[in-house]
Amino acid sequence: MSIIFNNVRIPMSGTFFPGQKVLVEKGKIASVGSMIRKNVEKVIECEQKYLIPGLIDAHSHLGLFESSTSVDDIHEPFADITPHLRPLDGVKMRDRAMEDARRAGISTCMVCPGSERPISGICSILKTNGNSADVGLIVEQAGVLMSFGEQVKVAARNGEKSYVTRMGITALIRETLMKAQDYYAAKQSKKMVKDREIDMEALIPLIKGEVAMRACAHRAEDIMAAVRIADEFKLKLVIEYGTEAHMLAKVLADKKIPVVLGPTLIPRFRYELNEKTFESAKILMDAGVEVAFTCDYPGLPIETLRVAAAMSIQYGLDEKRALAAITDVPASILGVEERLGKIKKGLDGDLALFSGHPLDIRSRLEALVVDGDLFVFSDELKIESGS
Amino acid sequence: MKTILEKGIIFYQGKFQELDKLVIEKGKITEITLTSTKAKKGKVVPAPKKKTETSATVIDCSDEYILPGFIDAHTHISLEEEGVGWYDADFNESFGLATPQVRAFDALKMRDRAFNDALHGGVTTAMITPGSANPIGGQCCIVKMVGNTAEAAVIKESSGMKFAFGENPKRVYGEQKKFPSTRMGTAAVIREWLMKAQDYLKRKKTKEFKEREIKLEALLPLIEGKIQARAHAHQADDIITAYRIAQEFNLEMVFDHCTEGHLIAKELGKWKARAVVGPTFSSRCKPELRNKTFETVEILMDEGCVVALTTDHPVMPIEGLSVAAAMCVRHGLDEERAIKAITENPAIILGLDKRLGKLEVGYDADVVVWDGHPLDTRSKTKAVFVDGNKVI
Repeated sequence: MSIIFNNVRIPMSGTFFPGQKVLVEKGKIASVGSMIRKNVEKVIECEQKYLIPGLIDAHSHLGLFESSTSVDDIHEPFADITPHLRPLDGVKMRDRAMEDARRAGISTCMVCPGSERPISGICSILKTNGNSADVGLIVEQAGVLMSFGEQVKVAARNGEKSYVTRMGITALIRETLMKAQDYYAAKQSKKMVKDREIDMEALIPLIKGEVAMRACAHRAEDIMAAVRIADEFKLKLVIEYGTEAHMLAKVLADKKIPVVLGPTLIPRFRYELNEKTFESAKILMDAGVEVAFTCDYPGLPIETLRVAAAMSIQYGLDEKRALAAITDVPASILGVEERLGKIKKGLDGDLALFSGHPLDIRSRLEALVVDGDLFVFSDELKIESGS
Repeated sequence: MKTILEKGIIFYQGKFQELDKLVIEKGKITEITLTSTKAKKGKVVPAPKKKTETSATVIDCSDEYILPGFIDAHTHISLEEEGVGWYDADFNESFGLATPQVRAFDALKMRDRAFNDALHGGVTTAMITPGSANPIGGQCCIVKMVGNTAEAAVIKESSGMKFAFGENPKRVYGEQKKFPSTRMGTAAVIREWLMKAQDYLKRKKTKEFKEREIKLEALLPLIEGKIQARAHAHQADDIITAYRIAQEFNLEMVFDHCTEGHLIAKELGKWKARAVVGPTFSSRCKPELRNKTFETVEILMDEGCVVALTTDHPVMPIEGLSVAAAMCVRHGLDEERAIKAITENPAIILGLDKRLGKLEVGYDADVVVWDGHPLDTRSKTKAVFVDGNKVI
């Protein structure tokens, strides 16, 4: 399908530039400008509405949690180290939350297992349009999820696990990574042919530096534990949650470690959330840290991604960086900036059309395009076929 | 940046003396002049030098006491953050039995109020160790009391391996209805792992060696003599058991708590033992503390042991370190040795005596200015320098 958005505002160097046209063909953005002439199947007259790249949440459990039930496929409570768990095997594409995500303008999510176990599985990048997870899949092995701090301790205590301290969690992760290094070394030396181990196999891309260690950590100390381990094993690192990351802004900036920040719109119901503040994003960005917002669905409803960005503006962040933190920055953190996050020729046809400024919470999503598939959410939108 | 402390009474070369000036530059002590030596030389500071000193901060310490930052050689600061509860209790890996691979360094919480309390109590350096629930508890670290991250505070990430003898492991595993529930069992667990580590070291040097084992890797520096064994032992017989194992495996051992040390003072003296005694201010809350006394320190020192005092924070609050030294004075110890027990001696025990524990040229500028005699409980820290930075 080919679609053209006529007379639309698009983000350009910090403001919204009016009177633009955006053409989507064969699932990709084919052209951007004011002078496009082309025969297309659908013409959308936008009347100066706001078109932005499809939003990206770089950390969620979308589709793993089953809406309106108490059932989830997020947590594997009786195993500590499960890097071989794949989100693809648990995502339910017809879950209501997938529709909620589309209605919120979200075209892409990183989906991962839960953060209650030291190493819980791999992270996958999915689009929200597919009828099956395989269709929406962008990258299957996009990182390995590890967790530090209070949540792991609580879960370990409830499950009567053999480690109940931060020292124990760190030691367990270190032990696993040592094994993985040795496993990989043995595998490379051709003399030692051996049986494969499914958990170690899942860690090889991490050990080789192809994918990042995605470390769930709220407190500064837990973040530093992750930094220390990443340094020891020479791993790429992304901090998830990062509630106290602003206290380490300089360390993270120096080491070029990005933060997927949030969920901030929650009460301080655990001790590790005590220092939570909406100022974090600005402090981190000012120091030079890459920051993307997350609502950690189902930690918060998936619709609140835009709210997180808006709240940070209330606390001093500028609109440009707030918007980037839910579009091109998460794309870059996820390593898919060649495909997603911007309105630019050649990138995926993922676009969200809002009735007003996208960071004004009163603005309504009127249409979403994911890989060229059009979802319309407003009866008033003027769509004509062919011309 | 240069800081000059002028006048006052300095604890220098083992005794209190009158200070002319102490100069701090680039985190180190660069000059110490006493009024007595200045008088002998009979020289006044030459005029041209004054120019360079205009950028220096000069602090007049008249009538005040200048001491090296105190060192507590056995604490659990921030492993169980104060005022928080279970969520931040990272003290004992109490289902693990032998956990040499766990490191206190990975559980420090640098915003724990205790770090600030320590500075107010004149304590600038502490050894932090996992708890004593396990026969092998994990790795100790040494940090200064300042820093936003553990990395910024660190002196040694892994300075020693914690072992526990006596009641604690027995009680913890006994209650879980698991092995060991006797002192024999505890010693056997420790011996078993040390044997494994010795064999692992041999195996590692051969070609058949393939995969690392994290617990044994953690024990290697100990077997190789690179880090010290820290033996939690209260009762005389437990101290002797610890020593026996240290001899068998050729370990460099420090005795922690050493509550009944005075009952075997002759033996400890013969071993040239190094002991970290305390927390003597606690109550006799378990049988192995029944012979606790403030006299232990003096008795052991008289036999030639190197003795340091500890608060075992949070068992006793860290500010109480100088109070513990004062209590020893009340029980007969001389002031100079009481101060050494919280400065020079812990530095020797931690292997940091070339850097810390004394005010000497070239040493770290961890300097505390007290508004009165440091062993007078009414005295207060007026200024605290860590690595030359004024933190209070």
